[in-house]
Amino acid sequence: MASRRRMLLKVIILGDSGVGKTSLMNQYVNKKFSNQYKATIGADFLTKEVQFEDRLFTLQIWDTAGQERFQSLGVAFYRGADCCVLVYDVNVMKSFENLNHWREEFLIQASPSDPENFPFVVLGNKVDIDGGNSRVVSEKKAKAWCASKGNIPYFETSAKEGFNVEAAFQCIAKNALKNEPEEEIYLPDTIDVAGGQQQRSSGCEC
Amino acid sequence: MQEAELHDLSDDADYAASQLQGSVYMTRSDSTKTSSTTEPEGAEVVYLKDNVTIHPTQFASERISGRLKLIKQGSSLLIMNWIPYKGQNSNARLSEKDRNLYTIRGVSFTDVRSIRRHTPTLGWQYIIVVMSSGLAFPPLYFYSGGVKEFLATVKQHVFLVRSAEDANVFLVNDFENPLQRTLSSLELPRAVSVANVPLPSTSTPLGELPPNENQDAGDGSRSSSSSLYNGRTRQKVHDPARDISIQVLEKFSLVTRFARETTSQLFRESLNNGFAVANERRAHGLSPVNSSHKLVHEAEKAPEEVPVAPDPIEFDKLTLVWGQPRQAPLGLEEWATYLDSEGRVMDSKALRKRIFYGGVDHHLRKPVWAFLLGYHAYDSTDAERDYLKRVKKTEYETIKRQWQSVSAEQAKRFTKFRERKGLIEKDVVRTDRSISFYEGDDNVNVHLLRDILLTYSFYNFDLGYCQGMSDLLSPILFVMEDESESFWCFVALMERLGPNFNRDQNGMHSQLFALSKLVELLDSPLHNYFKQNDCLNYFFCFRWLLIQFKREFEYGRVMRLWEVLWTHYLSEHLHLYVCVAILKRYRNRIMGEQMDFDTLLKFINGLSGGIDLDAILRDAEALCICAGENGAACIPPGTPPSLPIENGLLYAQQDDEVL
Ligand SMILES: Nc1nc2c(ncn2[C@@H]2O[C@H](COP(=O)(O)OP(=O)(O)O)[C@@H](O)[C@H]2O)c(=O)[nH]1
Ligand SMILES: [Mg+2]
Repeated sequence: MASRRRMLLKVIILGDSGVGKTSLMNQYVNKKFSNQYKATIGADFLTKEVQFEDRLFTLQIWDTAGQERFQSLGVAFYRGADCCVLVYDVNVMKSFENLNHWREEFLIQASPSDPENFPFVVLGNKVDIDGGNSRVVSEKKAKAWCASKGNIPYFETSAKEGFNVEAAFQCIAKNALKNEPEEEIYLPDTIDVAGGQQQRSSGCEC
Repeated sequence: MQEAELHDLSDDADYAASQLQGSVYMTRSDSTKTSSTTEPEGAEVVYLKDNVTIHPTQFASERISGRLKLIKQGSSLLIMNWIPYKGQNSNARLSEKDRNLYTIRGVSFTDVRSIRRHTPTLGWQYIIVVMSSGLAFPPLYFYSGGVKEFLATVKQHVFLVRSAEDANVFLVNDFENPLQRTLSSLELPRAVSVANVPLPSTSTPLGELPPNENQDAGDGSRSSSSSLYNGRTRQKVHDPARDISIQVLEKFSLVTRFARETTSQLFRESLNNGFAVANERRAHGLSPVNSSHKLVHEAEKAPEEVPVAPDPIEFDKLTLVWGQPRQAPLGLEEWATYLDSEGRVMDSKALRKRIFYGGVDHHLRKPVWAFLLGYHAYDSTDAERDYLKRVKKTEYETIKRQWQSVSAEQAKRFTKFRERKGLIEKDVVRTDRSISFYEGDDNVNVHLLRDILLTYSFYNFDLGYCQGMSDLLSPILFVMEDESESFWCFVALMERLGPNFNRDQNGMHSQLFALSKLVELLDSPLHNYFKQNDCLNYFFCFRWLLIQFKREFEYGRVMRLWEVLWTHYLSEHLHLYVCVAILKRYRNRIMGEQMDFDTLLKFINGLSGGIDLDAILRDAEALCICAGENGAACIPPGTPPSLPIENGLLYAQQDDEVL
């Protein structure tokens, strides 16, 4: 049990309904995009094995219903999370404005031990639409927000075209790993925990 | 006051912010008067609580609400009264006689042995008062809270200690030494006598008393005791199989004598089987999958399986006794025999029964669903329905025009409208697109889904649109093939399922609560397993309940299931028994593989498309019949799909009772 816990990294994807949470997760795990995903009801997760410098981890990615009405379920699903991914649609202003709400909601419901330093990653999705011509949230604006919240790493993605998805989840996994309390992790010597922490403030090199 | 909570007008985002301050669950505000009131004869009311309720019958909507009082008489006597309110019945079926039957009057705490408190995480708290005689009163549900206060008040006046065995049991006037107390006064025959057998619920003696368990017909020693239940746990027994079968049968008070004998035998057989197998396994260290169990595939994957407590209600056997084989769907010719010359349904109960057992031919669904959903009255004529159809069409068009006439300029300044529309548009394009009816770009039926949902969100602006609604509407539109008719059928469905989508999620919470009580009643080992593994919130069944299994079966099967559920033939809440039936089908796998919450959720989600509907319906029917009144008592009144309780009922009836 204890060893399993060490191996498992729990990631929660949050954001307004329709921003592409389910699509991103499926693109990352199954390398597929479908126009026919159903709206998520309740919650589900997918898992994927990830490798870090000779060590295997299981990334457990939780996808929840985006409508605010269902947030009371969050308590059950968010607990024990190692990283939280906030997604918005670069073409929908409101979905960006709600990021703050999602972040706070997560912190309240998951109540991580160290909320100040809990790792988030922000994804601006659907950059493919209309060749970027319909976007209403600029990269600059998004990055400014991320910086103001303690240098949250930021990625622009397209779940549809698979753009930047792998890189984003690499960073997500890395951040999730860092969140594990050190004493709980059996890290092989090759992983440089301190180095990882430095990277965090610089936006995960990505 | 209530309105503000139940129908929050704020939009989602605003609401979400307010949710941060904590959510309100099923508030039914009323007065709580604990201040002392002067009573005749120098008696003093030290506790008073309204809306304390019992559920006497199998119909959850039937309840008797009353006022609970603790009265102090003289210096040391504490008396408990519970007097049902007069008149204004929740249901006409409850007679004055019932009312008198259940009245608790002048019960002195010198005669009370213990009080058991049930504090579910979801739903109403209740207490069971157990008398020294071993009899117990039916569970008293505190609709307006106040259990803690009740116990605190009792404690002020009589000697009350918490049981060392179970933190929810409070012993009254128990002066024995603590060690003896834990062994004797709680009476743990099951735990003691069968400690070496994997019996269900050995660890929680009184705790496993489901509401109304153990109805005691034999004990007539107390004149006013027809409402008392035998709360004494069973006699010491040496035949565990017999013990379980009796225990199970006692729970099912509806079981006839004949059925009792039959099942008693069946239970014994199956349990003996089970035990033999389990013991053998223990001896040989084998994996304990019950080989007599039908679920063969359960055996294929057995990594770290552990012994599984036997199912107290052996399923395959049970279904043999009660669950009827499914019939062919109701066809056109037969349908005609239910109608009189003017098109009225002559015997709606017979019709509902017929559909319950067989469903409806697809091309008949259009007329029949309108009845089942309550859009058309069974006693309406063809002509009346035609007329209604026309009137309703106009009405629909009027509401639809309300949003259609919102100009682009207006929409700019109408955030709620834009957001709602956006949400709906995002969802309809993700709803059943693989069904040819909704397939392809620019599909006209997808547009209809959008129009109907948007119109509904204006018709019921408070509820608005919520994810899951498009799933519920899709088969209705597919069947009705008419915009206005679909809308009104959807409206009728939402009359019952609306609370699923309430902002405070109260409809979902009460269903999840009822489900947990039903599993506790019908499969206590599984219940204990969930309890130990932190799964009692039953969130893994959330999707099942929210959209009535829409995502769990393929389209045609969903329509079949829905029409069966909508008959409300055996119970308004058959869907909860469907949940229990599915869980029981997979119980050995769940417990054997030691699934934790995450694994269980994943497992349940993964069952989608793989559940045998007919088998599950038979199981659900059997479980529903077996659970009988005790099952119904697990389901709080107003739990969807019951029609909502009118609020007025709970308030207006306070001051006309006698002490
Ligand atoms: N063009 C485009 N569409 C996307 C992208 N990601 C998701 N979608 C579409 O947006 C809609 C909502 O996606 P979904 O993943 O279900 O969103 P969720 O509600 O956040 O889970 C679907 O119709 C998707 O096909 C993307 O990167 N580009
Ligand atoms: Mg989704």
